[in-house]
Amino acid sequence: MEVDILELSDRSAKFVLSKVGMAFANGIRRAMVADVPTLAIEYVNLYDNTSVLYDEQLALRLSLIPLVTDLETYMPQAECTVCGGEGCPACELSLTLSSEGPAVVHSGDLISSDPLVQAADANIPIVELKKGQKLVLEAIAHMGYGRDSVKWQAGIACGYKNVPIVSVENCDACGHCAAECPKSIILVEESGAMVPEEDLLKCSLCRLCEKVCDINAIKVSFDENAFVFTMESDGSYTARDLILNASDVVKGKAEGLISILDQL
Amino acid sequence: MISVRCFSCGKVISNHWDEYKRRVDGGEDKAVVLDDLGITRYCCRRMLLSHVELVDVLSPYQ
Ligand code: SF4
Ligand code: SF4
Ligand SMILES: [Zn+2]
Ligand SMILES: [Zn+2]
Repeated sequence: MEVDILELSDRSAKFVLSKVGMAFANGIRRAMVADVPTLAIEYVNLYDNTSVLYDEQLALRLSLIPLVTDLETYMPQAECTVCGGEGCPACELSLTLSSEGPAVVHSGDLISSDPLVQAADANIPIVELKKGQKLVLEAIAHMGYGRDSVKWQAGIACGYKNVPIVSVENCDACGHCAAECPKSIILVEESGAMVPEEDLLKCSLCRLCEKVCDINAIKVSFDENAFVFTMESDGSYTARDLILNASDVVKGKAEGLISILDQL
Repeated sequence: MISVRCFSCGKVISNHWDEYKRRVDGGEDKAVVLDDLGITRYCCRRMLLSHVELVDVLSPYQ
């Protein structure tokens, strides 16, 4: 397996994963979306709400706010070894919020009982309070899995495509393919059409160039064992940590399978 | 209130609403503002483009 990082920032990443099969690439993608646990608000005790939103709408908005997650301190509630799923400091924490209008309540106004766990973005508007309106609540956040609810989904827009291969043979440099390519990556020189190396990954494998070539000089195919991955994180983890955690999940599942097979 | 995340991909977009609103009200082109904010996918762009704020309409009836 080889990894070639093209772009890496705090919240997003783009890399080429090669010498692996499609199943493995998809395993990593699914782990990022569904199997890396994160913290999200699950219960809300509302003590006062005279805002324009119903309690349920408020709870929904709160639940969708990504919280910076500390995987070492917290464990998924259903698997909690300390309390067995009833709720304890090892699997949940509380955040409080109290505000009076006129004001716009933002995610940064949530006061967390654990200073390490904060809203990933401080400026997510929760509700606008007019003069005299009040909001007082306590929210309980749990660790959970993306497969159970989107609020626990850390990976956003995770996807991959095969690395494209564009080959040109016996080209008469008519230029039709270059005019058709939606990504404008085909250059036509005297020697014929070609796609510069640095633009090749932009090819969407649409095959429009193949269709317009009257003499079938251009061929588009792809490498079955190399993938261009793009992914973003919602802020619960950095992009780097999310990829590493996803790999750990895949590894843990593989080890689990081996130990089951050993017992047979 | 603007939805916290994009309905389709799940990206948090509401944190850009204040800036988007301020700049669009200031006469800037919506497409340019969205590009500046790094909102590239069209699923996320429509969240901001199509949002209608109703808080002021509803608040008298509390
Ligand atoms: S397959 Fe599509 S994107 Fe790729 S080179 Fe051909 S026309 Fe361009
Ligand atoms: S590949 Fe085909 S369409 Fe493109 S320039 Fe050559 S002959 Fe023309
Ligand atoms: Zn517990
Ligand atoms: Zn989106």
